[in-house]
Amino acid sequence: MIATMQDHWYPVALASKLTRSGRDTLLLAQPIHVRAEASGAPVVTCDGRVLPVLVKFGHVWTSLGTPAGDVFDIPEAHQPGRRLVEVGSVKVRCSPLRAVENFLDIAHFPFVHTDVLGSEPHTEVERYEVEIRDDVNEVWATKVKFFQPQAARSAQGGITTEYMYRVPNPTCSVLYKTCPPRPGEWDVITIFVQPLTETTCEVWPWMALYDDDSTMTQMIHFQQLIFLQDRSILENQLPALLPLDPGQEIPTRADMLSIAYRRWLKRHGYTFGAQLVAA
Amino acid sequence: MSSIWIPVALSQDILSGMAIPAHLPGHDLVVWRSASGRIAAWHDRCPHRGMRLSHGFVRGDFLSCIYHGWRYGENGHCSKIPAHPDLVPPAAIKVPRFDVREKSSVVWVAPTGQAGEPVDYRGFTGFRSLSVNAPADLIARAVEGEERLAGCSVVLLVQALQGRGCNLHVLAAEGYDTAQLDGLSLAIEVLRRRLEQAVAT
Repeated sequence: MIATMQDHWYPVALASKLTRSGRDTLLLAQPIHVRAEASGAPVVTCDGRVLPVLVKFGHVWTSLGTPAGDVFDIPEAHQPGRRLVEVGSVKVRCSPLRAVENFLDIAHFPFVHTDVLGSEPHTEVERYEVEIRDDVNEVWATKVKFFQPQAARSAQGGITTEYMYRVPNPTCSVLYKTCPPRPGEWDVITIFVQPLTETTCEVWPWMALYDDDSTMTQMIHFQQLIFLQDRSILENQLPALLPLDPGQEIPTRADMLSIAYRRWLKRHGYTFGAQLVAA
Repeated sequence: MSSIWIPVALSQDILSGMAIPAHLPGHDLVVWRSASGRIAAWHDRCPHRGMRLSHGFVRGDFLSCIYHGWRYGENGHCSKIPAHPDLVPPAAIKVPRFDVREKSSVVWVAPTGQAGEPVDYRGFTGFRSLSVNAPADLIARAVEGEERLAGCSVVLLVQALQGRGCNLHVLAAEGYDTAQLDGLSLAIEVLRRRLEQAVAT
């Protein structure tokens, strides 16, 4: 039994920043209120109804429906020695699904994150592998390689970075990438997207990195710089909704992961923020 | 007399190598000028992922999308996909174009394949474009017959922007000196304030 979008968990706050008075926000277009009790435990309500709640990866998660289990796990994030980076949130005037799809995209690095995550003439995206893992209901891409001038705050000069992408939830993605100071380990970079409406979202990046040199502020700034560059794209795509039917947009081989993500969304009816019929 | 040609900008405001957003009723456009000086008006949307091409960049005679660098040539056809440098892009990948003309240093745009040419205001040249926060029809009525401002002979072109007021493109007769044009510039700003206040009250 596959959960509907209502039954998934979504991030709605940073647990460490939650106050007693809390905050009013939206989830899937429903007004919700998130606050901390005197004990510090988070409470989320929707029109007087108390919603399921849990804390994971530094964030408060909730659901409007009945989640089948816990929030997905990221086993690597529990390894000792990692720095857990709570970036905070950025509001973006775009479909929550477009925000995730952009996170899954490699080919834009030389043009949007110029001289940081990519640079001309190193623009080629080699063939990578994509699969929908039915046993866990996740989308995966592996063996993704790309040349990067400054892959992370901790990188010294250009390297060919290897990536794996994982979509365990319609509006969340986990990226595993070459860890410059520790070859053999993966840095873990995520975006957890809170769908506010079909065309607005709040993006909560979170990272679990091996980096003993950078300050927390430097790591947060690095990620914010990258994401603000992405935002200038996300707020200027037409249509605002993510088209799930072919014909509106023209993909190429580098977009295999995007194609799989869209197919997976459509198959399961994860369509909040999607356009189903060509307008 | 109404024309299908719509003034969207002054030639002087789109330098070689620039891409800017512009508007026709029902369409967002990118208007851009190649390094060799050729002007073009296209749909403001890259067919790959829907990114606005007006955020893109011009190199030589090509406009590239800022998202993935897909490169489009004069005819709107995609000529390069940087993620696959060896791939010849299929002919189906192209950006719909509009007809565009430059006359009296005004950039005029119309749907493709229309007969007729835009009006040529001989002896006039583009002076200033400014946006006016008031409905185009009211502004057009208010400035109708205005042929002189601050002692200068002018042509005032009103471009409607859906729900966004309008642009007023001002042409001035050729040959005025700097002081006369400075006077004209002030007079245009006074005119704009007067028009916006008239609508507000």
